[in-house]
Amino acid sequence: MASASDPGPVDLAELRAAQPRFSGLESGHGACQGCGQALAARLVLEAAGPDVIVANATGCLEIFTTPWPLSAWNVAWIHSLFENVAAVASGIEAALKIQGRNTKVLAFAGDGGTFDIGFQALSGMLERNHDVLFVCFDNEAYMNTGIQRSGSTPLGAWTTTSPAGKTRQGKRHLKKDLLTIIAAHGIPYAATASVAYPSDLRSKVRRALSTEGPSFLLLHSPCPLGWGHDSSLTIAVDRLAVESGLFPLLELARGQVIGRMAIRTVRPVREYAELQSRFGHLLADSPEAHEGLEHLQAIADANIERYGLLASGPEPRDSEGADTVRRGGTRWA
Amino acid sequence: MGLENKGPDRADRVTPGGIAFPGTSLENRTGSWRLMRPLFETAPSPCHAVCPAQENIPDYLSLMARDEPRRAWEVLVSDNPMPAVTGRVCPHPCETDCHRGRFDAPVSIHSVERFLGDAALREGWPYPAIPPLGEDKVAVVGAGPAGLSCAYHLRRQGIRVSLFDQFPEAGGTCRIIPDYRLPSLVLSGEAERILGLGITFYPGKKLGRDVSLEELEADYAAVFLSPGRQRSRAFSVAHSVPANLHHGIDLLWTWKNVGALPRWDRVVIVGGGNTAIDLARTLLRTGTGEVHVVTDEEIPVDRESQKGWPMPAIAREVGLAIGEGVRIHAGRSIGRLLLREDRVVGVELVHALKELEAKSPVHRAFPGTETVLEADQVIPAVGQDLDSEGLERLLKSRDHLAVSNDGRVEGNERIFAGGDAVPGGGLVSAAIGSGHRIALKIGALLRGEGPSAVPALVPLPYSGLNLHYFDHGSSYEPMERAPGARNGFDEIETTGSSDLIRAEADRCLSCGHCLECDNCWVLCPDGAVLKTAGFGNLPVPYLFDYEYCKGCGLCARECPSGHIRMVPEE
Amino acid sequence: MRDILEGSEAIARAVALCRPQVVAAYPITPQTHIVEGLARLIADGLLDAELVSVESEFSAASVVLGAASAGSRSYTASASQGILLMGEVLYNISGMRVPVVLTCANRAVSAPVSIWNDHQDSMAVRDSGWIQLYCADNQEAVDTTIQAFRISERVELPVMVCVDGFTLTHTLEPIDLPDQAQVDRFLPPFRFTRKLSSEHPFSAGTLVSPDFFTEMRYLQHAAFEQAAREILSADRDWSGIAGRSCGGLIAVEGDREAPTGILVMGSVFGTLLDAHRSGDLGRPVRLIRLRSFRPFPTEALRKATEGLAALVVLDRSLSPGSGGIVSHEVRSALYGLPSAPRILSVAGGLGGRDLRAESFRTMLEGLDHAGEWDLRFADLDPDRLPKADSAPESLADAAPKSTNPFPEKE
Repeated sequence: MASASDPGPVDLAELRAAQPRFSGLESGHGACQGCGQALAARLVLEAAGPDVIVANATGCLEIFTTPWPLSAWNVAWIHSLFENVAAVASGIEAALKIQGRNTKVLAFAGDGGTFDIGFQALSGMLERNHDVLFVCFDNEAYMNTGIQRSGSTPLGAWTTTSPAGKTRQGKRHLKKDLLTIIAAHGIPYAATASVAYPSDLRSKVRRALSTEGPSFLLLHSPCPLGWGHDSSLTIAVDRLAVESGLFPLLELARGQVIGRMAIRTVRPVREYAELQSRFGHLLADSPEAHEGLEHLQAIADANIERYGLLASGPEPRDSEGADTVRRGGTRWA
Repeated sequence: MGLENKGPDRADRVTPGGIAFPGTSLENRTGSWRLMRPLFETAPSPCHAVCPAQENIPDYLSLMARDEPRRAWEVLVSDNPMPAVTGRVCPHPCETDCHRGRFDAPVSIHSVERFLGDAALREGWPYPAIPPLGEDKVAVVGAGPAGLSCAYHLRRQGIRVSLFDQFPEAGGTCRIIPDYRLPSLVLSGEAERILGLGITFYPGKKLGRDVSLEELEADYAAVFLSPGRQRSRAFSVAHSVPANLHHGIDLLWTWKNVGALPRWDRVVIVGGGNTAIDLARTLLRTGTGEVHVVTDEEIPVDRESQKGWPMPAIAREVGLAIGEGVRIHAGRSIGRLLLREDRVVGVELVHALKELEAKSPVHRAFPGTETVLEADQVIPAVGQDLDSEGLERLLKSRDHLAVSNDGRVEGNERIFAGGDAVPGGGLVSAAIGSGHRIALKIGALLRGEGPSAVPALVPLPYSGLNLHYFDHGSSYEPMERAPGARNGFDEIETTGSSDLIRAEADRCLSCGHCLECDNCWVLCPDGAVLKTAGFGNLPVPYLFDYEYCKGCGLCARECPSGHIRMVPEE
Repeated sequence: MRDILEGSEAIARAVALCRPQVVAAYPITPQTHIVEGLARLIADGLLDAELVSVESEFSAASVVLGAASAGSRSYTASASQGILLMGEVLYNISGMRVPVVLTCANRAVSAPVSIWNDHQDSMAVRDSGWIQLYCADNQEAVDTTIQAFRISERVELPVMVCVDGFTLTHTLEPIDLPDQAQVDRFLPPFRFTRKLSSEHPFSAGTLVSPDFFTEMRYLQHAAFEQAAREILSADRDWSGIAGRSCGGLIAVEGDREAPTGILVMGSVFGTLLDAHRSGDLGRPVRLIRLRSFRPFPTEALRKATEGLAALVVLDRSLSPGSGGIVSHEVRSALYGLPSAPRILSVAGGLGGRDLRAESFRTMLEGLDHAGEWDLRFADLDPDRLPKADSAPESLADAAPKSTNPFPEKE
């Protein structure tokens, strides 16, 4: 084994400052190892650039980035409360508008702050047509408080408030179909994205920000701790979420689907479940477990059918080659 | 309050509204969390590990993929000074082992190799990194690929080389390879470029006849022997030998040196090696009516399902020969020569099997299966042996040079041997590899350095790749003349265009090598991978910032080419 | 310019004179007319502001938080349930030290449902860290609104201007509206030191550890000491421009040397003053009006109550199980003074119940017999209470005999 050539002493702080990308989220934040949300937030800001103001709902992202006096944010950032991020962002946007400033406004929230407690404010923001990009970092449960189920938690998933036991197979209710609800607001741009597909994610951010009016991004962001997978598997798990059909990658304009990332090789939901302890009980040898897993599979199948996700022919791996590397990193340009 | 100033007291004194300043999280060194540490580590690619010439294939493919052919060639010739030759004649085991072959189709490495070799000859690119000549002198006997390679790699260490060959031109046995496979100009071009490095070439000087081993030992600090195998093996069937017997290798030399061959009606060539196939196709091209090849080995296709020993000839060339009309009688041996007087009128073929048993092949023939094949000529192409002239002292009673692991002829401190003259040879690329290895040993010897162990290359396994990041795509198919158009000696395969070759090089999965794809840089949740492009010409494309790396292992898991390894923290 | 205006309209025009850039509100009685007034001014092009008609009071408060943080002067208004729904955000605005002005059209808090006036709503959020100023009349509402922006922006604390619902908001009175030049002279453009900006980014709303939380809270509390000075200076400066003062932190009228006093907040002071002037109170009384409930002006209160032997404190709200909120605070402020007056706590004017001259006279009479910690309910009618021994055993027993829920008074 030849080790990579030794670069000698390098001033890493200088090198860090010279990175050819905008780093909106700085290192030294306290996210868990392999945190999908930390990665997602940095990618969103990389695409958005420095001329932004971010309003952030209460949650992991807020906590692990801003233990006063430290902050990991390199952008203007404000946290108010859990349920009001869309309204705070609305206010910022209204102020910028009347002041004639062109800075973009982003609202960041987890699934709790989006699907559940922050939903009303979000709906209001969309209805009032504020020029804000709302990004929901969807890790499918209340992770900050210790893995409680949310409206986004998928059917059958274990959480501390939807435990699996003798009479229950995890969460008893379906994941809220938020995208359809958002779509019903008729906003100009809404999309889903996944950290496993960073270029797709970033192009969606750019599209959202170049669209006047409210836009919405549902960004699937695995939580190694809450989902029960190894910290190195964050991307692999989320890739399976997409490739199984459980989390379709879509783009909508005015409620109409205008883009879908096709799946060339559909992976069984079982493969996705096998990597995560939150679905471990569904892999047991019992009729209830079997039914639970089959139910999830049926939901994935229905997504594939509903959105026409099957790729045909010798096409690229996905609709835009978004997960294909290029020598020299040009795919990230 | 100036927001632009972070202020010295901010960690000690509260701020109204509890504001914090950008990027101050850098004070939080999250690297202390780490249990596992990622390392960028180049692992050998399977192509590199298997290449007889030890070419660092992913490195030059990568440069070619970036449209930097000259730098690619410079990397290539740091191992193999004759890529235009090997790109044509090597059976390229690199492609057999190429992991891309399991994904869709192997990278056509030889096409890139010959493209680069041709480009260098065409453009007159000089070899890079040639130091001034020093004092040490080394003699090299035999100017075939092993000798040329050894001379070249000695010269790259600043060592003076005297190169002796019994023939008037350098090239060794490669010179008898027909032009449709290896144009003479390509061989002479690359050989002359090596000789042009200031190597003293003594053509027409045969060991034992014109110069003795003792003289070389006296005049030179070390001697490298690569005389090849020049003596045809004796041929007889049941003690009968035809009167007008021509050995296959002699006919190939005749064609190269004289440019004319007899025209027979029907020829039987005996043997399954490259000489047999080259001769068969040459004879068809020079007017012989029918050419039959008889071998107890099997046609080297679909080797998995065969029980017999395959023909040692390059599989692809066997296929082309069949396409051109050569009739191959595989699994047969000659039971009897049918002679009228002492002239051949036919041969009796018998079913035969060459099987591998206890490490060596065993020949079996099965009586009762005989058939007769009429022929007016039988040509043996059953291999050559070492010409012992001048080597008697070293050979003792053996027919080959016995060498130790480091290439020394046993019992001789300063005499080394390589190429076909030692067991295990046969491929041009292997000869080049052996010349390279021994040149390094000689260099170390002359510099008084101790023996340095070169560890065996353990290639990155297929499972070490993350194939999610690669798209299936069509591969480059070298352009070939149709069989009907192959009546002359023009080359069958042509060199690809720059665009096609660049695209093909880009198909390399870069096994164990950094693709510089930015995956680790993009996917690190902690921003702990730093890209070095444009920052002081650092020799690596990325660095880990271990002050912040938490050791999640995501980069290693998602590295497409297996270039990152996780090791426990101490 | 003097004009006859409805209170809400006057407040809306006063707000507009302050040039707010963002107005966010959710409709609730009796605040609606204020926001409607502003909406008309914006629609008519008389005010250049973003009107954000939100989907809840929670969002109204959140929008002004965001807008002010982004550097725009921002205004909202609410009442009753709306103030309570805002509660979490109100704490947040103050803790983040964001200048915002809110008009609270004071109203009772459900249940039972009442749309009428008392002070329960603003009292419920008295600990949220907002400056609270109570207005005696609509002229004061106008003047206090203008002062509120200056106070808020100078001390970086939000200000709640408390205006009695209906009593003031829906009442027509002659109002002196200042002209724009006067207001501009008094109120400079809003320059927020911690304005969110991509040019000088910072992070607001961080997580503060126990090591620093106390200091953060201390800073917030200390700002109220500065606020007291700013309230006084704003009133003084504004009176220099407009010729009217609103009474600073606390105002004293009536018989200033009388040993008996009544302390009230808000518009009921007008009734009290009328009763005093017409002699309906039946004795000399010192009339004390607490204008600033937050900051609570302890020193000024002690001065205003000097020489009093007895004091009625009227609470227009109730802390059930404890008593009058203002009276507790007044008692606390005077505690330990050698000559502290005896205090009668009266909860009155709840849910819109009129307070008349007789009500105050009754309170004063009660003062003569009251114990140190007595709590009285003004005008409480025992006949309207259930009989002590007739607790209904079922809902059927409790059904009303009359179908008219609002029986006419005799």
